[in-house]
Amino acid sequence: METQSNNVLEVRGLSKQYKKGVYASQDVTFEVRKGEIFALIGPNGAGKTTTIRMIATLLKATEGDAVVAGHSILTEPEKVRQNITYLPDEAGAYKTMTGRGYLEFMAGIYADNKAQAAEFVKTGCEICELGDRLDDKIGSYSRGMIRKLLLARAIMSKPALAIFDEPTSGLDIINALEIRRMIKDLAAQGMSFLLSSHNMLEIEYVSDRVGIIAKGHLLEVGTPAELKEKYNTQNLEEVFEKVVMSNEVC
Amino acid sequence: MKFVNLLRKELKEMLTPQTILTLVIMVIILSVAGDAMSGVVEDAAEEISQITICDQDDTEFTRSVIALMENPGDGVQNEVTEVELQSDDYAEELERLDTKSLIIIPEGFTQQVNSGQQAETIFVSQMTSLSTMANISTGSDVALSIIEDAVKSALYSDKITEGQLTEEEISQLEAPVTISETTVVGNKSADVSATILYSMCQMQGMFVPIIVYLLIMYSSQMILNAVSTEKLDKTLETLLSAPVSRLAVLSSKMLSAAIVAAIYAIVFMFGMNNMMSGLTMGDTSEYTEVVEYLGLSLSVGQYVLVGIQMFTTILISLSISLILGALAKDAKSGQTLIMPIMIAAIIPYLLSLMLDIKTLSPVLRFIVYAIPFTHTFMASENIMFGNMTIYWGGLIYQIIVLIVCMSFAIRVFTSDKIFTMSLSVGQKKNKRQTRSLFARK
Ligand SMILES: Nc1ncnc2c1ncn2[C@@H]1O[C@H](COP(=O)(O)OP(=O)(O)OP(=O)(O)O)[C@@H](O)[C@H]1O
Ligand SMILES: [Mg+2]
Repeated sequence: METQSNNVLEVRGLSKQYKKGVYASQDVTFEVRKGEIFALIGPNGAGKTTTIRMIATLLKATEGDAVVAGHSILTEPEKVRQNITYLPDEAGAYKTMTGRGYLEFMAGIYADNKAQAAEFVKTGCEICELGDRLDDKIGSYSRGMIRKLLLARAIMSKPALAIFDEPTSGLDIINALEIRRMIKDLAAQGMSFLLSSHNMLEIEYVSDRVGIIAKGHLLEVGTPAELKEKYNTQNLEEVFEKVVMSNEVC
Repeated sequence: MKFVNLLRKELKEMLTPQTILTLVIMVIILSVAGDAMSGVVEDAAEEISQITICDQDDTEFTRSVIALMENPGDGVQNEVTEVELQSDDYAEELERLDTKSLIIIPEGFTQQVNSGQQAETIFVSQMTSLSTMANISTGSDVALSIIEDAVKSALYSDKITEGQLTEEEISQLEAPVTISETTVVGNKSADVSATILYSMCQMQGMFVPIIVYLLIMYSSQMILNAVSTEKLDKTLETLLSAPVSRLAVLSSKMLSAAIVAAIYAIVFMFGMNNMMSGLTMGDTSEYTEVVEYLGLSLSVGQYVLVGIQMFTTILISLSISLILGALAKDAKSGQTLIMPIMIAAIIPYLLSLMLDIKTLSPVLRFIVYAIPFTHTFMASENIMFGNMTIYWGGLIYQIIVLIVCMSFAIRVFTSDKIFTMSLSVGQKKNKRQTRSLFARK
């Protein structure tokens, strides 16, 4: 275990069948190193959310295992949860709470003591940049504001691994850029990220390594530069197209 | 044209399979209740023509009165059973004689008639339920009119042979008998008319079921909304991936809903109590003691028993709605998912208001008893009328149901079923439609 301590996440042969015989994700294997930003990219229904939910201990894996900060999702899901935060795709927040109230509520769950919780809330309020609106009810927020609030919540507790499903969906270009920058900064400080996205440009800019997933299979893993070179293309989008095409032919 | 299109769309949206199912179920409930009620009415009619009478005077005159009761003329036939009383304990006597009512002609009856006084008779009846239909047959009026008619005829034929009636005798013939009523409740009896008792307790009989019904609906709706919005907003995913035990998430939800429901219950109880005391004050206050003596007003300990059953019921509806909430796929299905609970509550609610569930036919009774909420609707009545076996049996059944529902709810929440399980009635149809769309192409 000591030799692999550099990996915050190790996914080994992870598979999920919602219905017997139908794999939503099959034999997925990759790892995320400390301070690394790893992105799963793939078309709709590829199995990104399924894979991510298994790692976030929400779904039980049909086969395989994943180890987060030395803890298996199968045998020690509680320990795993202490080391991650998860931001679901298209998530909402409690509409009757204020933004600050929500951050306080979630900080209370992640923090070990009051001082730490207060610190989390302070960080969260700074990150989400909602200003005065923090004391308004979440029900009055726009989609983008909610997204920023949720991102702030996922980041404020500085988890070992932050798992974001489509982190910038619903955000405008300026806000999306800001979030990407923030993710990069935090990664530089040692936080690891597992992201999913359709947006190849965003992924190319933000992630250290990407995994291309289609129909439940992880087809390629590498840095954007490696992949572009291997497939001899200008951008990730074309890599993606070639990978998916070549695998469909086989 | 545009309007027709719009109207068609709106109708399609509103007349979902759920709505239609609700209608069908309502029709079934109403017709079952109707059948059961017509049965009760028939029983009541039969009971009146089956008269149990105890002749303690035993004179020629009373024997002719009884003969006239059996055969009042005009081809009417009443079935009169003459019995002997073994004690003064009317509760025991009714049970021994296996009857719900009894007319007693006391000693000295003939003498009173002969001396031109109103002769006294005693009418003993048993009260077993507070529901409307169970009390239409308490018929002391009917008993009075039957015996009055018989006495009149006997008196008339006696006197007429002696020649002209005096004025006094004519006025005696107008109202020859009085009835003093005794009502048996459980194993106690008091000299008070069942009609008065019923009107005094009617409020209780009506409001307890309303409270139970509202409590079930409120608490289920609360938790169902809480769970389904959490699931649809994905705040549940956030919460369940956080370092907090799933049992804590589950139990905090249930506990808060139970607390709110309990607050509702207490507020309702107080409000109802005030209203009832407001209504029963005045000329009926003299009967309050009798009502208490007969056990028709609940003591503190009995309130606790009712409370226990209510709480069990709320927990059952909470755990069922937890499961139903987890099934929600969209906001609309979240709302219609309350339907099973509503139906399970409305059947015993209406039935207990209208009739004495204990007197339903065995098959119907079994079906109604199988609905766990039924026992709560009957709880206060069972306690009042001393049917403690039914109360405890119901409570034990409810606890078993609760354990089953609760363990299923816990299994749903602690496994990944909460995310994979879903139910949407309209969905299959849509799939078929899209398929046929493609097929046409
Ligand atoms: N609860 C579920 N029950 C049954 N099948 C499911 C369930 N959730 C997802 N699936 C199926 O699993 C497959 C993968 O879905 P998943 O949500 O993981 O895709 P995704 O890559 O996240 O897609 P998107 O980009 O649209 O979010 C799909 O075919 C989907 O229909
Ligand atoms: Mg997805």
